[in-house]
Amino acid sequence: MKLNNPELISRLASEYVLGTLRGGARRRFVQMMQHDAALREAVATWEAHLTPLAERLKPIAPPKRVWNNIESRINSGTPARATQPRAHVTAETPETGGFWSNLTFWRGLGLAGTSLAAVLLAFTLRTSPVANTEPMMLAVLEDQGEARMIVEQPKSGYLMVKMVKPWVGGEDKSMELWVLPKDGAPRSLGLLNDIGDTKLAKPDMDIRLTDGTVFALSKEPRGGSPTGAPTGMVLCKGVIARMPAKNTTARAGQGQV
Amino acid sequence: MADIALNEKLAAMLSRAGIGDKKAFAELYDATKSKLFAVALRIVRERHLAEEVLQDSFVNIWNNAAGYATAKSAPMTWMTAIVRNRSLDLVRRPRLELQDEEEFFTLNLEDESLGPQDQLIQSRDKSRVEHCMKGLDGEQLQSVSLAFFQGLSHSEVAEHLGRPLGTIKTHIRRGLLRLKGCLES
Repeated sequence: MKLNNPELISRLASEYVLGTLRGGARRRFVQMMQHDAALREAVATWEAHLTPLAERLKPIAPPKRVWNNIESRINSGTPARATQPRAHVTAETPETGGFWSNLTFWRGLGLAGTSLAAVLLAFTLRTSPVANTEPMMLAVLEDQGEARMIVEQPKSGYLMVKMVKPWVGGEDKSMELWVLPKDGAPRSLGLLNDIGDTKLAKPDMDIRLTDGTVFALSKEPRGGSPTGAPTGMVLCKGVIARMPAKNTTARAGQGQV
Repeated sequence: MADIALNEKLAAMLSRAGIGDKKAFAELYDATKSKLFAVALRIVRERHLAEEVLQDSFVNIWNNAAGYATAKSAPMTWMTAIVRNRSLDLVRRPRLELQDEEEFFTLNLEDESLGPQDQLIQSRDKSRVEHCMKGLDGEQLQSVSLAFFQGLSHSEVAEHLGRPLGTIKTHIRRGLLRLKGCLES
């Protein structure tokens, strides 16, 4: 949906910036803004109008721990997305569902998916035509506890994305896979095929795919995120589980499935 | 203008942060943290939530610093918008208990104890919007101020002022229209 009425656009933008646009209406507005330059323009105008008022507030020093936490969250040597400039970051940045912005939560996923990953690993191994193709790395991406997709690295050259339970509909959207390094911003790994499995190039060398690194799939405008950062709804997510040594634990686990 | 020089300084810190310069990012944090913490605290009201807002916002600023170059806004406006949006995401308000509301209605907020650094950060656009705010009717000004500074929703403003919801919506709509007319004149 696109708004054509300039007065309505300005009014919605003004209430968004003022903060009285709330809840579902706010989220819908943020979504619309991602596809509508006129809305972004109107928001930027209202931000320039109103936001300076906030500078009048008496400063209050935050405690030192805030910086310590920020520092530990960004500290890893990963540069802040220098290679992926965003087209527009004025207002939607913290607004992408509250999910993308909460990277700590992501990184805190830990090993929650590991047991399921082992089960699925056994499954992939059993169904694998060649027994000797154990992936070097595997992540099961889940949505609300349900496995939707597997990302695996059969050999160092590429990543294989296999659908466990595909999504229906959404032909006007693209599915984009992201990797969240332990620190640093999400990085796009590319778009998935609408149907079937997808082979993706391995990410740059500066992203190490190690235990606990998070993958996530987001729904983006056709052709991928316009900003270089995830903008859409998270469809599923999961952490990397490193493969156990060949013919040991994983094989043993297979019998239990 | 001194504030233009400072804005340029902040913009330079942001672009250096965008290429991974953590020292520049730390300077940026130091230069803006107290202003931005105040913005968050007004809206979310609880200190631990405001700290969370500030943390999330600065991680966000770090991650998107490279993209700032293409934003058209002043650095302080850009960062304040990020903090305000994150605050509005996280705000939960168990009960309405507002502080210092009088000062908002009179726009008597200036902190006399501001250091030179803080004063420099004040945007040149500030006096303009303040001038225009003063042109609002009493209840319009109250409604717009409560929404903007305290992050109150329409119904919370209505409850706070003891007025019907429709009246408050009208106040805010008309207040914003009048502001627009004044600001764009």
